[in-house]
Amino acid sequence: MKKTNPSFLNGVPELLVVRLLAGREMYGYQIVEEIRTRTGKALAFGEGCIYPYLHYLEAEKLVSSRRQEVDGRNRNYYKLTARGRKRLDELTAEWNRVTSGVALLLEGQPA
Amino acid sequence: MALRYCWRDNLPDYIETLRRRLAELGCPIARMRRLVREAADHREDLKQAALAEGLAEVAAEVRADVQLGEPLALAENLMTTVRRSAWWGRHCIIGFGVLPWLAFPVLWLLLLVFELLLVVTPGCGWDAKKLHAAANDPASFHYFVMVFQFMDYIALALATLLFCWLARRAAVGLKWMVTACAICSLLTLITWGKIEPHSFFVGFTVNSHLHLQWIRGAIPLAVAGAVYVIERRTRQRFLEKIAV
Repeated sequence: MKKTNPSFLNGVPELLVVRLLAGREMYGYQIVEEIRTRTGKALAFGEGCIYPYLHYLEAEKLVSSRRQEVDGRNRNYYKLTARGRKRLDELTAEWNRVTSGVALLLEGQPA
Repeated sequence: MALRYCWRDNLPDYIETLRRRLAELGCPIARMRRLVREAADHREDLKQAALAEGLAEVAAEVRADVQLGEPLALAENLMTTVRRSAWWGRHCIIGFGVLPWLAFPVLWLLLLVFELLLVVTPGCGWDAKKLHAAANDPASFHYFVMVFQFMDYIALALATLLFCWLARRAAVGLKWMVTACAICSLLTLITWGKIEPHSFFVGFTVNSHLHLQWIRGAIPLAVAGAVYVIERRTRQRFLEKIAV
């Protein structure tokens, strides 16, 4: 999937999810809420889209999941694996490289 | 507020649409349960949040559905992830169009040898004298030839079943399962195994014993048909169970 999906923009939700799960384990709704809150509602997408991402990350062994009953509901909690932490470092470095490059261009004189 | 999501409850339309679409796309049932449960939970959370904001029940449900996104598109996205999560799903052409040509004869041979070991070992162990005595006795050898024939059919069925199982697991659909089974069927027409006193042969051929070869050729197709029927019945039972 990585090879067929190399677009940087397509990697943004992955970066966000992995970054959030680095802090603590969460379930789907919590992740979407956190993204909404912590990005100041700048990023919004169909909430169902989170599950294809989570399942992809799980298939790639970047996150693991477990079921836990909370308030009578069986929730799937996701948490980052060691491999996921490595991926987070890679994605963060890539993000910093691209954003600093774009910033340099935006700050410069128009050609 | 304590909520428990139950499969026997009447599912909301959104979730029902999602589940039906996943079923149509051939999602494995265990995976479907999980996907639908997660979506239903998420929808319930969204609905509760909307209710907490003061919306009426119906309005809260409508908003939850909108926030969750279009159910058919969501089902397609989820299925893409299911398929891409397995190597067999990402490489259908190689896995089900090319690999059976190479892997099926090898698998069949390994299974046949394994079955032979299972049958011969308890009877004769590895005692050469006993093996020779059994091979020289026409009555027991005739019996063994029939057993061998049966083992051949079982090996063919098991090797085909492996591809069906992989196709089902990767949720690649009926098309690829049938493709793999058709290739297996063609290969069974040209491969053969034969047992003679003190000898065991395997090889490729396009002639002789055509009636037996046709029986062999029908086995992978029968396996594909059986897997399809079982899968369909299981899915149907699953859908009926939910509809109760």
